[in-house]
Amino acid sequence: MFVLLRQLATIRGSAGLTRGGSRWLAIRHVDAGSCNGCEHELGAVTNPLHDLQRHGLDIVASPRHADILLITGPVTTRMAGPLRSAYEAMPEPRLVAALGDCALGCNLLGDAAELVGAVQDVLPVDIRIPGCPPTPDAIAEHILAAIKRDI
Amino acid sequence: MTALHHVEPGEWRRSIERALGAGERFGGAWARAQDGGLSWRAVIISAHGVRVIWTEATGGAVESIVELVEAAGWDEREAHDLYGLEFDGHEPIRALVTHPEDPAAWMTPVTGDGVHQIAVGPIHAGVIESGHFRFHVIGERILAMDPRLFYKHRGLERAAEGRHHDAALPYVQRACAACAVANTLAYAHAVEDATGLQPDRELRVARTALLELERIYNHLHDVGAICAGVGFAPGTMAFAALKDRAQQINAQAFGHRFLFATIAVGRGAVELDAAAVDAMRAQLRELRTDSRAAWRELEFAGSLQARLAGVGVLGRDDALRLGAVGPAARAAGIREDVRTLAPRLAYDGFTPAAPHAPAGDVEARLGLRAVELEASFDLLEGLLVAPLARGSVGRIEDRASVGIGRVESARGATACAVELEGDTVTRVHLRTGSYANWPALAWATAGNLVPDFPLINKSFELCYACVDR
Repeated sequence: MFVLLRQLATIRGSAGLTRGGSRWLAIRHVDAGSCNGCEHELGAVTNPLHDLQRHGLDIVASPRHADILLITGPVTTRMAGPLRSAYEAMPEPRLVAALGDCALGCNLLGDAAELVGAVQDVLPVDIRIPGCPPTPDAIAEHILAAIKRDI
Repeated sequence: MTALHHVEPGEWRRSIERALGAGERFGGAWARAQDGGLSWRAVIISAHGVRVIWTEATGGAVESIVELVEAAGWDEREAHDLYGLEFDGHEPIRALVTHPEDPAAWMTPVTGDGVHQIAVGPIHAGVIESGHFRFHVIGERILAMDPRLFYKHRGLERAAEGRHHDAALPYVQRACAACAVANTLAYAHAVEDATGLQPDRELRVARTALLELERIYNHLHDVGAICAGVGFAPGTMAFAALKDRAQQINAQAFGHRFLFATIAVGRGAVELDAAAVDAMRAQLRELRTDSRAAWRELEFAGSLQARLAGVGVLGRDDALRLGAVGPAARAAGIREDVRTLAPRLAYDGFTPAAPHAPAGDVEARLGLRAVELEASFDLLEGLLVAPLARGSVGRIEDRASVGIGRVESARGATACAVELEGDTVTRVHLRTGSYANWPALAWATAGNLVPDFPLINKSFELCYACVDR
């Protein structure tokens, strides 16, 4: 827990995010066909032990309010359309994050006829968060590191 | 070994009728493509165990049993969509897995003055799995709800087929993270059933402990989710933190927060030495104490309690008719739990938690989880008394072509059917507690107000992933 806070403080500091600063990034999540593991861990990122909001990141309901589209799962044939619609609804500039090994295409399990493929086969991916599923710490670290790199 | 009986196609409906008349129940069905034709198999559950009956689809059709067993509705619709199997007497057979454009092809027809529809999903407002709900409403009152799932259908069963039974296990595991132990254990049981293997005491103890650890983090999650369903943040946050602690215990002992790769076919996959078992027992006791304290807070939280009673009622008769299982069924007064009939696990003398005269509403489903948490902590106290050894299996029977495994997941009875040729999986079918309960959730939604749906939904807390597969 305290290790995590130290890590986040370090990342935050090197990302130039001052405490109490005005940077605020909104994340819209889309489940494109996951096993629900990544959803559980993304949910855990906002629990009191991890509390990502303190670092200027929050999960929002509409893609129109979002800076980052965070996508889980291999993209199924039935979710490819809704996923593209969510992306198109976002204002620019926008980032796409692929969360978990399925989204990254490293460990695709399923019938090829039912899957479009990894997220990068559908949308340009800016942030890659590996893991099966990635732990809440890993999710927080990758997103905060990406903010440092891209903004 | 699970008995396998052939039934003449013209006798299918009658044989189901006879089984029901003898007090047996339907436990799921699956289609099998073989030698250019299709066959149709059903799991029949009795007080003593399970058996499988099967028939061939002459001309690509079999007799429907939905008139007798409403719970078979989804099984028939799924086989129709995925295998092209026709069901005589299932009229109209609405799409389940496929997503036709025409609303009439999948939706309940609801018409009348003032009736309109609310479409929700597949992408929801929060961090939630993808699925679509179509509400038929007058004003705020829900008349009916059609869940349209299978947005996450990955064809996992088909992808697993043709593989060695060890190589097929990850496909079952990936069906659902939150039910990974239950699903892979049902699969391991099914393969061991088909190959005539029986786990020894040590393996049964380790697997039982894993299943209860999975139930604890899920039930803690589900209590928090119900708080989220009414916007009661203190409860949501308290139970989210408790769930995280439960998952940290899993990770510390077995290297994975969701206990992935802890179940293998025909052998044990984990062990814990005495120090690790002692540490886990101490952590679980602390977690239990804190969970009880958090639960007491909920009992005295007026703004939460005021939202629970009389909402999302699933009565006993409807729960039986629709084939509901698990906490949803027990909160409706059905005293059933696969843990009472689990010779392959270590639940000796287990009695299911079931209240005397439950209301079948959100309050009953929430309260039942609190009781079941206590039972799971008790079970682990009894299991974690010595180092967990890997254990092994012994051959007790000859091999058979079909095996069935049934396990009580956090959502209810989960059945896995496996067909083997040698060690190769020719068909695997997973019918999870969530799959069994979705029609019951849809039923319990009718008559309620639209803003209560998230709460009702969370009180069942069904997975989409292990339904869609």
